[in-house]
Amino acid sequence: MFLLKISKIWQELTAFGRVGLVILLLLIFMAVAAPYITWQPHNISSGPSLKPPGGAHLLGTDELGVDLWSQICYGARVSLIVGLGTALLAGLGGAIVGTFAGYRGGWTERVLMRLIDIMIVMPDLPVMVILAAFFGSSLRNIIIVLALFSWSHPARIVRAQVLALKEQGYIKMARIYGGGDLYIIFKHLLPELIPILAVSMIRLAGMAIVTEAGLSFLGLGDPTSRSWGLIINHALNFSGIYFTPFWKWWLFYPWLFLTLLITALALLGRDLERIADPRVAKG
Amino acid sequence: MSILDVNKLGVIYKPAGQHVQALEDVSFSLTAGETLGIIGESGSGKTTLALALMGLLGKKEQLEGKVVYAGAELLSLEESRRHTYRWKHIAMVFQNSLEVLNPVLNVGEQVAEPLARHLDLKGRELEARVEELLYLVGLERSWKTAYPHQLSGGMRQRVLLAMALSCRPELLLVDEPTTSLDPIARREIVELLESLQREYGFSLVLISHDLACISRLTRRLLVLYGGRIVEAGLTEEIVEDPLHPYTRGLINASPNYFAFRDLWGIPGEPAGGGAAGCAFASRCVQSQEGCHAETPALQHLSPSRQVACRRGGIMTMLAASGLCKEYHLKKRTLKAVNGIDLEVKHGEVLGLVGETGSGKSTVAQILGRMVKPSAGQIIFQGKPFNGELTRREKGIQLVMQDPFASTSHRFTVEQTLREPLEINKVGGREERQERVLETLTRVQLPADDKFLNRYCFELSGGQRQRLAIARALVMKPALLLADEITSMLDPSTQANLMRLLKGLQNEEGFAMLFITHDLDLARKIADRIMVMQYGAVVEQGSSHRIFTQPCCCHTKDLLAAAFGHSH
Repeated sequence: MFLLKISKIWQELTAFGRVGLVILLLLIFMAVAAPYITWQPHNISSGPSLKPPGGAHLLGTDELGVDLWSQICYGARVSLIVGLGTALLAGLGGAIVGTFAGYRGGWTERVLMRLIDIMIVMPDLPVMVILAAFFGSSLRNIIIVLALFSWSHPARIVRAQVLALKEQGYIKMARIYGGGDLYIIFKHLLPELIPILAVSMIRLAGMAIVTEAGLSFLGLGDPTSRSWGLIINHALNFSGIYFTPFWKWWLFYPWLFLTLLITALALLGRDLERIADPRVAKG
Repeated sequence: MSILDVNKLGVIYKPAGQHVQALEDVSFSLTAGETLGIIGESGSGKTTLALALMGLLGKKEQLEGKVVYAGAELLSLEESRRHTYRWKHIAMVFQNSLEVLNPVLNVGEQVAEPLARHLDLKGRELEARVEELLYLVGLERSWKTAYPHQLSGGMRQRVLLAMALSCRPELLLVDEPTTSLDPIARREIVELLESLQREYGFSLVLISHDLACISRLTRRLLVLYGGRIVEAGLTEEIVEDPLHPYTRGLINASPNYFAFRDLWGIPGEPAGGGAAGCAFASRCVQSQEGCHAETPALQHLSPSRQVACRRGGIMTMLAASGLCKEYHLKKRTLKAVNGIDLEVKHGEVLGLVGETGSGKSTVAQILGRMVKPSAGQIIFQGKPFNGELTRREKGIQLVMQDPFASTSHRFTVEQTLREPLEINKVGGREERQERVLETLTRVQLPADDKFLNRYCFELSGGQRQRLAIARALVMKPALLLADEITSMLDPSTQANLMRLLKGLQNEEGFAMLFITHDLDLARKIADRIMVMQYGAVVEQGSSHRIFTQPCCCHTKDLLAAAFGHSH
């Protein structure tokens, strides 16, 4: 059954969507199977420093002689967890807040909307820096802090959509037929919200991954979990890296994987939106 | 001073040991010079009644009750005495056909026969009287020598009339004078009867299907069904506002009364008399179990109206009074509906017409429980109006204007139809499935798996509106609110949909509030019309009256705008 659904989705994807899905699956595979596809330790020196790609070190080593391929594979875990975690947390949270605000209306809506306004005006990065510093930079805290600053976007979109949907005849009819709030939300609203929410969440995932890299760059990332951002951070901290050939692997490969991940998410997101809406899918 | 008193008249035919109750418990009286119409479907006992009054029954048939004519009880009279009343006092114009005239006698001899027999006229005198009579009924002298088969239908009718009038009767029974006549002959006969009645002042009992003829010639009306009187009253009042479901059905089925409306007969076969219970119960839209057990007596609903119905005539299904809906805009208050009273009766189509913005749709939305009224009271079938009505069977269902909005494009046909059943847990899994399929068939959509699994967005506008109607019908409503349901459809789809809906309404007997700005459509479908302007009802009445004799200026304006001529 599940396989059937997967194959159905696969058939409905465009070429770009398929490429995105394959890349995403490969990156997930890299993260999950990291111990099996790497042969060098990812956290201690295993060879000469700044060795170009080739030989025992597939993508070369950094200045401490730590294997880059291993770092990237293990770093994928961090980036994906941050991306998915933030997207789920912020997406679901935002969806709940947005639905609640739009569906209930009245003062509930006004209070929540002002809260969203506050979140939007608040300068993200400085507050994040303070929060990250305050809570201590563990992976979990970073996800929470990122989610705290990203829920307002899905919440606004969802609320707007709910407001429009609420006036739709079929939802009014369902209510006249006695459909309760939960029935209407799950049976009518959610299917309509999922596509835009999916797109929003994929964007959030991309943003979270980049922001995490930024925080890491500022030294606020979890130092024990080497994300791709932290690798880039280290590489950029190497003074005069652009005058050396080292950036060609040390900076390039983490950047490449980061870009691949974000592009794959974007491509997939676009196709999922199309599939989630049967009008677009069949028409 | 009544010249005819019929008291509990009953007639039982006994063909080959059977027992057919053709008339039962028929009572009425007639004063001198009064005109009485009798309507009813074929087999309702109209002609039997006329024959019984003429004293032409009683040999093979069993008669009950009394017929008192000028103090003499006719039914118990011996044949020879009874004979004296026939023609001289009570004469009958038989239903027009070739058989009622003797084929070997010419017109003159035909008319002369009753004169010779009852008045003993002879020779010159007889001749003169015959010619006078022929002149009276508008036949030229030259036709005197013609034989029945040489006459046209209209002429034959005139000969029959001349025969009946020959002995100057005080009571004339006329059976179907206008059937099988062309419009011109029909008009001439009606005019002739009218002028003769005025001139001679005889009492007239007119039996006819032709409501136009009945309403022109008679003052009082009896409606017969299954050998019983189901409604009696003044003709004008009955035709404008029938109180028995059967009378309403008859009026709706009469094209010659209001030509614009679509024709719909009363569903089902006429029942014979004699059985227990109300004879009309099996065809009645408001019958209950009790109706089949107990025969209703004719009761006065008003001083001038009698109706035989256990439920007190056509019942009011929904009554709203003082209905208001205000919308508070920034600076002013918009009164979308400003205190209207509304009544929807069982099984009727009430057309709500008016300009855009007159508050029609708001009324529908209030009654469909989509918006709450600011003020007013609504009572549905004697019970308070609450949210449960849209959630149960035999309640209220709303069909909205835009099918693309009222059904979810994400749902399949099956999901859409099952939604109300599933929310309200109506029936089991299989019953729901059955009802979905049955309803699809009823609205003429395919009821196969392929169609059930199609998404709504794949359907055309007409299909989707039919689906929306099916969703309402799946709940078996007692009242269907149709809010401009065809305004987004092309004329052909509209025609199909309207015929379908009216057919379903006629068959299943639900009441319908049909809201439209399209007067042509309203004229086709509605039994009664309400005209709205600025949130208020400016005029209401039977569709026939509103469209032919509007009183209110606004109605006249609307009609003039729609039909291009003022009334």
